[in-house]
Amino acid sequence: MRIRRLLIANRGEIAVRIIRACREMGIETVAVHSTADAGAAFVTLADQAHAIGPPPATESYLKIPAILDVARRTQADAIHPGYGFLAENAGFAAACADAGIIFVGPPASAIERMGSKLGARDLMERAGVPVVPGARPDDQSEAGVKAAALTVDVPLLVKASAGGGGKGMRTVRDVSELDDAIGAARRESLKAFGDGTLYVERLVERPRHVEFQVIADRHGNVVHLFERECSVQRRHQKVIEETPSPALTPSLRARMGEAAVAAARAVGYENAGTIEFLLEGDGEDARFYFLEMNTRLQVEHPITEEVVGVDLVRAQLAVAGGEPLPWTQAELSQRGHAIECRVYAEDPRQQFLPQAGKLLLYREPYGPGIRVDGGVQQGDDVSVHYDPLLAKLVTRGETRDAAIDRAIAALKQFAILGLRSNVAFLIRVLQHPRFRAGDIDTGFLDAELPSLIAPSPAQEVDAQTRLRAAVAAAAWRTAQPRTRANATASGDEAATVATLPDPWETLEGWRG
Amino acid sequence: MTNTPTKKFRASVDDASFDVEVAADMIKVGDAQFVVSPRGQTLDVIPESGGGPPASAARAFVATAGDVTWVSIDGEVFTIDIEDAHHTRRPRAAAGEGLSAPMPATVIRVLAEPGREVKRGETLLLLEAMKMELPVRAPRDGKVKALHCQAGQLVQPGVPLVDLE
Repeated sequence: MRIRRLLIANRGEIAVRIIRACREMGIETVAVHSTADAGAAFVTLADQAHAIGPPPATESYLKIPAILDVARRTQADAIHPGYGFLAENAGFAAACADAGIIFVGPPASAIERMGSKLGARDLMERAGVPVVPGARPDDQSEAGVKAAALTVDVPLLVKASAGGGGKGMRTVRDVSELDDAIGAARRESLKAFGDGTLYVERLVERPRHVEFQVIADRHGNVVHLFERECSVQRRHQKVIEETPSPALTPSLRARMGEAAVAAARAVGYENAGTIEFLLEGDGEDARFYFLEMNTRLQVEHPITEEVVGVDLVRAQLAVAGGEPLPWTQAELSQRGHAIECRVYAEDPRQQFLPQAGKLLLYREPYGPGIRVDGGVQQGDDVSVHYDPLLAKLVTRGETRDAAIDRAIAALKQFAILGLRSNVAFLIRVLQHPRFRAGDIDTGFLDAELPSLIAPSPAQEVDAQTRLRAAVAAAAWRTAQPRTRANATASGDEAATVATLPDPWETLEGWRG
Repeated sequence: MTNTPTKKFRASVDDASFDVEVAADMIKVGDAQFVVSPRGQTLDVIPESGGGPPASAARAFVATAGDVTWVSIDGEVFTIDIEDAHHTRRPRAAAGEGLSAPMPATVIRVLAEPGREVKRGETLLLLEAMKMELPVRAPRDGKVKALHCQAGQLVQPGVPLVDLE
């Protein structure tokens, strides 16, 4: 059943991405949006757009009845949930099925299965996919959990089964710390999730986060599209992703790919998904463990597209329409290197506080091997109601070094004025010797953070010159006679508008 | 060139302040000299090398909003306050203007009451949003004129919470 009209249950850059694929395939698009997004790029790009509520996500992008109502009224054949919002909501997937609307993603049962950390772990173990060594005690008394913990080597993590976002988790480096850790983890878990069930896992030190893209059709075909290295993270939020991973050898890659496909088969998966692994060590002796499965298209999917030469959203839509996968495993290979930098409306010098404001100037970089998946335009008012991701800068190069050089050059060309962004921070991460050397793990950003927020001593002279050059530019502009041409060419705010004090100026730091 | 009037400014960015002189396309920032020329929608800013090898141009993107000039050079963004040397700048929060929350937040504590004299930088309110504590501080010396919120209240961005005289 070919999809003729698709409703995109999302916003921003991913909505733009999906609409682009639809345009190429001749699929009509229906956008749904909150009142805050009425003028957004994705709303303008879609064939039709319908307002579904006020700015807060709970009253708009998460409002299942409102979204399904629009789908029915517009006679949309299918809904693409993007990522975040309702993408991994089994109830939404089921509601679509009940309404006779194709959900571009896996069956609700697969979403549900992978939503429980312990359930997913069990399933993977039974399927022969390596999981982090650990123990799940049936006896949940303090003594029972302690006994289970003693079967696992230190260092270990006492984790809450109902947990997430680091809550209900305690690190134990010596068995003497066990009693306290179990008590604390249980109390925190009960308070946060109302469930004190605990399990124990070995703590993998300095792990890399390496994930594999998979896609399955409805005809029994499952393939993987290789890996993405996502270790550059801050507080579990990814900042830079790349492929291929510098840590993988061809044989390790093949073994992990097989495990990813086995995982997808074990859960009866359909459509696109990602298997996340923790990688301990690198090269031939590295050990990999299943961490979790994301039953949706991921933010960082473009780097896979660039290196493997495929269009994943197009493939998603084809699979959802009942077609077989367009490639066999043997036909897929990696060529060159791709890096994605997530450009966030955040101020790294104010503990990455999300920024709001009007985009006075917004100029994306362009050129060979430069791809920008963005969702904002100059003049947009960026609010804090949603994820602060402004755009994804994806650079491709023949080699890893070439891709890094290109990313740095492209970021320097990325002009975002009117609110603070992490562009300068991203440049420093890419320039860091550890990043260049590929010597990264999930602790890299936290470990090197102070040096990444401000220019290094070596960069100090240049930084001072740049500061003065900026002042010179500002002064020159101020000294010019104000003409209409001046004002409109550079995106200046009309002089009368900014009389209210900028509330962001009354903020000076924060305490987490 | 000799007849071009020189405009003088005082510029502040981050913690630094500079005396700036603009004479046509020659700009003096403290002790440093630059030549600025427009190129398309950007500005080329070339440091004067004072007889040494020519320095490379910095390409600056510039946009202004009210009193603040935003400049981006090689990905680094600066917010610069430029004051005309002859006129005092309009104060950041004009008399009677209200201070508001930058994002939807909950008021944890109200620390100032109407009639109280406050100093620049003093915390007037404590807000909580996205698991962070956000102090709302007085942008200048003044007297609290009115309070429009109370502890425990959920407030929306842009709505005045406290008025300073």
